[in-house]
Amino acid sequence: MFIHNFKYSLKTLFRNKELIFWTFAFPIILATFFNMAFSDIENSEKLDIINIAIIQNDDFDNNEVFKSAFEEMSDKNNKDRLFETKYTTKEEAQKLLEEEKVVGYMELIDDKPKLTFITSGINETIFKYVSEEIMQTSNIINNLTEEEIQNQIMTGNFNVDYESIYNKVIEITTEENVKLKNISSDNLSYTMIEFYTLIAMVCLYGGILGTVSINQNLANMSNQGKRVSVAPTTKGKVILSSVLASYITQLIGVALLFIYTIFVLNVDYGNNLGLIIILAMVGSLAGLSLGVLVATIIKSNENVKTGIILSITMLGCFLSGMMGITMKYIIDKNIPIINKLNPANMITDGLYSLYYYETLDRYIFNVVSLLIFAFTLIVVSYISLRRQKYDSV
Amino acid sequence: MTVFKTFLKILNKNKFIIILYTLFLIFFGGFNMQTSESNINFVASKPDIMIVNYDEEKGITKDLIKYIEENSNVVDLKNNEDAINDALFYRDVNYVVYIPKNYNKDFMDGKNPEIEIKSTGDYQSSFAEMLLSRYIKVANIYQKRINSEEELINKINETLSKKSEVKITSKLDTNILSKATFYYNFANYSIMACLIYVICLILASFKDIKIQKRTIISSTNYKTLNRKILLSNSLFSIILWMIYVVLSFILVGDIMFSIHGIFYLINSFVFTICATTIALFIGNIVSNKNAISGIVNVIALGSSFLCGAFVPMEWLPDGVIKIAHILPSYYYISNNEVLKTLELINLNTIKPILLNIIIVLSFSIMFIILTNIVSKRKQKIG
Repeated sequence: MFIHNFKYSLKTLFRNKELIFWTFAFPIILATFFNMAFSDIENSEKLDIINIAIIQNDDFDNNEVFKSAFEEMSDKNNKDRLFETKYTTKEEAQKLLEEEKVVGYMELIDDKPKLTFITSGINETIFKYVSEEIMQTSNIINNLTEEEIQNQIMTGNFNVDYESIYNKVIEITTEENVKLKNISSDNLSYTMIEFYTLIAMVCLYGGILGTVSINQNLANMSNQGKRVSVAPTTKGKVILSSVLASYITQLIGVALLFIYTIFVLNVDYGNNLGLIIILAMVGSLAGLSLGVLVATIIKSNENVKTGIILSITMLGCFLSGMMGITMKYIIDKNIPIINKLNPANMITDGLYSLYYYETLDRYIFNVVSLLIFAFTLIVVSYISLRRQKYDSV
Repeated sequence: MTVFKTFLKILNKNKFIIILYTLFLIFFGGFNMQTSESNINFVASKPDIMIVNYDEEKGITKDLIKYIEENSNVVDLKNNEDAINDALFYRDVNYVVYIPKNYNKDFMDGKNPEIEIKSTGDYQSSFAEMLLSRYIKVANIYQKRINSEEELINKINETLSKKSEVKITSKLDTNILSKATFYYNFANYSIMACLIYVICLILASFKDIKIQKRTIISSTNYKTLNRKILLSNSLFSIILWMIYVVLSFILVGDIMFSIHGIFYLINSFVFTICATTIALFIGNIVSNKNAISGIVNVIALGSSFLCGAFVPMEWLPDGVIKIAHILPSYYYISNNEVLKTLELINLNTIKPILLNIIIVLSFSIMFIILTNIVSKRKQKIG
């Protein structure tokens, strides 16, 4: 009987086209959209080469420091290249700015840079900052040269070799002496969160499958349920086999999404495949328990039940960052209790901690939370399902 | 009247869907806007930097912190590695500077101590790194020559105080206009989803085989019936558009009363027409009520994602933008983007806007023709 009911539950679930669309196809479609929209965001946030113009007047031509600095920073072979520089006349520069071919232009008057931009922004700020940096370097060169000449005169050497002093000073100012060590993790791609929320969504959507298969066994929900109720089989067997069928269907859906996101969209889940599978299975169990609970304690028609699961799922995914990654951070930081109770966030956060964190504490915390969530819901459903009797249906 | 009453009845049954999409628009399109002061003067961009100082705050350490504070937004977080890592991942900070113990002393001894940093790798963090390197570089050069701490700090600050002069040419307040663009871009989703959902549902209800048989034998001419359905649907579209326009006046503000605002209205109105024709077309080919919500989501979400309604167009990959050209939403959103930075309004500058509007109208005509072809084929029942 167990296997019989299991087989037919599986068949009815797979033949429900609408259900299969929402649990199988829709997440994959959504993942494709996410990938199209987000795949370039992080690249466009990297510092790009900035288009600028410099007015070529006598001041600029005679200023060796500015000239060589901009030449170096616009050099195509320089790996730290910052600018694409056009040397032009003032009229031409104004025209370029108007057509937005450059972010701004610089005019050197009395060795002081004057910058013109259309508006404020990060590229403009960098251009301004670099021009100041060069001015500051000139200032250092002047200070040091002066000091050096004075030193030589003080020691009694009146035959000062200006050229060699200048060269020495230039050498000092161009010396690389800044020691920074980057200790941040390589896995900083925040758009991954979007795909993690999608996995969470599929796990919880799976609850609908649980609801549908339980409904088939409830006498007050369907004609089939009436027949099952009077059949000489224990309720436990029937319910358990239906629930198992929906759990397996759900796992197939999750697996499909994993395969699609990993192999087609190149989503990075970290390296620990075993832990990811455990999380997906526990997450699906949480979704299933939600579905079973809604199916058993809510006495209403199937549409209302599905609606409830959909709303809980969507709200959970929203809070864990599906419609804007910052949402998850805001909640985590300010009202962490909400996300500690939110099953969608437990799944998202579990995947996030596998991807970003080196330690497993946070992952284990999430898996245990999911297990507690699922267990509590299953116990409540069990209590309300057992010894259920109908005086009339 | 009977037709219109039925229309209202179905509409009333589905009012939650309309309210839901409208709430989405208010919540995401309206409140997601960053507010900042107007930019007639130059405002330097400031990266968000967090400083973790293990040294005593005096001497060079104090001055370095002061320099970073002046040129960036210093973020204050709990000094807890998990909190810092999370903040970095979600871009709450762009750059973290760890000043090591005894930094001041080691620096003055000429050891040039190493500083550990964490960086998000985006342009804000590159700028933050420029700031930090600049200070250390200048300090290192002077440190070799000056022994007195006080004199050294004075010298560093004298050098770092050299500033460039900046002039801004734009008189346009792009901030408020980007608000309007953001709102109307998001409206792309709400308008499409609402119209397709409701209109498809209404058409599907009228196409229910029992109801269709009844309407066919009734004394009402099928042309009259079709005209009435079309009229009530158009009325619905216009009312929806008007609601969204009123909302934009509330959420975006004064700028909507300017000539820019008028263009936003015209543009969205033309798009509403187009969305209505799309809805009528889909309503004519789909008669299964259960399939409607799936179709709505795929079409509305798809064209919103592809055409830059959620993620700004400049951030989309080139390939996606190319595909987007076949969708009317692309031309509608392009217009919003043009309006955002449009400074002078004359015949020459609004030409691209008019062109896009014509394209959206052509899409509408195409969908009307397609609808007619399909409905002609489907006239027979049984």
